[in-house]
Amino acid sequence: MKYIDHNIPEEILNIPAEQFELVERENIKDEKFKTEPIGFFKDAMRRMGKSKPTMISLYIIVAIIIAALIVPLFTGYKYDEQNVSFKNLPPKIPGIEKLGIADGSRVLTNRKASSLEDPDRFPEGCIIEIVNEYEYKGTPVVDVKVDYYKYLGVPEDQYHWFGTDYLGRDLMTRLFRGTRISLLIAFFSVITNVIIGVIYGAISGYYGGKVDMLMTHFAEVLDGLPYIVMTILFMILLGPGMFSIILALCVTGWIGTSRLIRAQFYRFKGREYVLAARTLGVKDITLIFRHILPNTVGPLITRAMIAIPGAIFSESFLAYIGLGISPPEPSIGILLADGQNVLLQYPNQTLFPAILISLLMIAFNLFANGLRDALDPSQRGEE
Amino acid sequence: MAEEKYLLEVKNLCRHFTSGKGKNKLTVKAVDDVSFAVRPAETFGLVGESGCGKTTTGRTIIRLYDPTDGKVIFDGREISGPMTKELRQYLTDNIAMIFQDPIESLNPRMTIEEIVGEGLAVRGMKDKEEIRKMVHEMLEKVGLTEEHATRYPHEFSGGQRQRVGIARAMIVKPRMIIADEPVSALDVSIQAQVINLLNDLKEEMGLTILFIAHNLSVVKYFSDRIGVMYYGRLVEVANGDDLYAKPLHPYTKALLSAIPEPNPITERTRQRVDYDPERDHDYSEEQPTMVEVEPDHFVYCSPSELKAYRKQLGIAD
Ligand SMILES: Nc1ncnc2c1ncn2[C@@H]1O[C@H](COP(=O)(O)OP(=O)(O)OP(=O)(O)O)[C@@H](O)[C@H]1O
Ligand SMILES: [Mg+2]
Repeated sequence: MKYIDHNIPEEILNIPAEQFELVERENIKDEKFKTEPIGFFKDAMRRMGKSKPTMISLYIIVAIIIAALIVPLFTGYKYDEQNVSFKNLPPKIPGIEKLGIADGSRVLTNRKASSLEDPDRFPEGCIIEIVNEYEYKGTPVVDVKVDYYKYLGVPEDQYHWFGTDYLGRDLMTRLFRGTRISLLIAFFSVITNVIIGVIYGAISGYYGGKVDMLMTHFAEVLDGLPYIVMTILFMILLGPGMFSIILALCVTGWIGTSRLIRAQFYRFKGREYVLAARTLGVKDITLIFRHILPNTVGPLITRAMIAIPGAIFSESFLAYIGLGISPPEPSIGILLADGQNVLLQYPNQTLFPAILISLLMIAFNLFANGLRDALDPSQRGEE
Repeated sequence: MAEEKYLLEVKNLCRHFTSGKGKNKLTVKAVDDVSFAVRPAETFGLVGESGCGKTTTGRTIIRLYDPTDGKVIFDGREISGPMTKELRQYLTDNIAMIFQDPIESLNPRMTIEEIVGEGLAVRGMKDKEEIRKMVHEMLEKVGLTEEHATRYPHEFSGGQRQRVGIARAMIVKPRMIIADEPVSALDVSIQAQVINLLNDLKEEMGLTILFIAHNLSVVKYFSDRIGVMYYGRLVEVANGDDLYAKPLHPYTKALLSAIPEPNPITERTRQRVDYDPERDHDYSEEQPTMVEVEPDHFVYCSPSELKAYRKQLGIAD
């Protein structure tokens, strides 16, 4: 043998073969796990619980839903109860009124100074302070801050937390009742969209080929129809109302979901574990629902959650252009549309619905993000 | 040879992938005119570099892909024809597959028990307790314990997951297993463990195995017969010993020279041979075909190459 540069001692190199002994391969036995088994959803929930923004947004959503359910029952007013003599009242909230906000006061401008003395115009004790004094064409004129409730002769114990609208209806009752309607519309349109979208996307993505091509083209054609036109058509056919709006939102709303699901199916149907199940003879329907669909749950829930504020917004938009549900039923959109007519005089009529819809949107978006992170399988078992 | 009883016969199998249409049409001949046969209870090793079409061959046999051309016969029955419910049933009853990627091949949302038991449930087994019992037995066989059954795949190591994959394939008691690089993703110490396990199970259940690997060192001591693949074609098929003792095709020689040797002295002088089809073959005048050079030893070569090979083996014309 050629000399090779190595530093292995001679005695090791020259061990005769007989001296080698075959080490018996011990049986493979694995250690027990020390941790508890944890299911996928439990794990996801645990991770979600650790995320503060997600939990806060969840609390906000729950609070709004509960408020929408019970507030209209406890305000003491009905959403369609009109009282034209008490219209456009400012907010007045017991307790807080002492702090100088939400105390039912309003500044009346350009009043003749002399009229302040007239108890028919300004009932006793309603004037809080004179804000401004000046002269207009020789007449003394004042801007005066009054207790508007006393000014209009509203009974002492009658409070409207968010004020009243142009027909004297209690805005708080209407706002939370409107939230109920908006949430309902959002919920139904999202549920139907998700169901149609999932089934459509799953079939088109799983089978691929010609089926997929036809289904995709069909969806594209539908997607081209403007949804305002669709809404108007449904309203002509079925009359204005919740049902027409939900239907219109459903006709095209599912297309985005189905695209998402289809893409996920393309991504996952070739995975080895899906192929493994196929070689075991697992049926298509089981493959679709048990093996592939769970992977789409994360993006799907996120999408559905984001679609909720979208649907609420669409409804508001329709209400705004006069295609909303029929009066006197309120919705956030209708309240906003009504409120913005008098935005400068009575900003409170826009403020409260605007705050609520913003809260809803932010909360749903944050919650959707948190859920998506929690359901992301790549973060399994991580903190 | 025709009378000989084979369990699996692959005859001129082709699987082409196309993409695009018209002018942009692109065809990849992933498997092109591949023929081999596997005897009952034997291990057939299919070897070749990455991308040469091994996985595609395996998947076409088990009908995850439809063959473009050619025939596959299992135990006398053609399994490459039009897919029917009955054929799918026949396939799933007889052939199972073990996959390459230990992470990808287990559903992250199912417990080990659900994964391993699925094959039984599909076969109409209703009794949950019975399924559980069989799953536990099977897990025991692959060296896992009962209490692993309720766990999810992400809690396991690569070697353990691969054993779960083996359990899943074995529990339906197939006659043949297609093992697609079951150890490529594992480190060397675990590779031996998994291969030994496969070997034990094979002995115990009288299995036939089509073992796919990308280097010869893995299949070396494990396969009775070995097929070497290059760019969608089989270039040499021989008994394991023959292939090592007298490789004929230059690509086989290249693969053999790539096996590291356990002896540090000879390992240092090991000569790496490389393979370049342009240089090593001259197919401008003669077309190569698959020829049986000596009994049970097939090479893909042209007539003049055949002559040279015969001379090398000392066989007179
Ligand atoms: N679904 C597919 N569509 C198009 N081309 C494919 C498809 N599957 C495989 N191919 C191509 O076929 C060829 C063979 O692929 P294959 O996966 O069979 O190789 P392999 O030998 O298993 O490689 P590896 O050792 O990396 O697993 C490759 O060139 C690949 O790009
Ligand atoms: Mg492969």
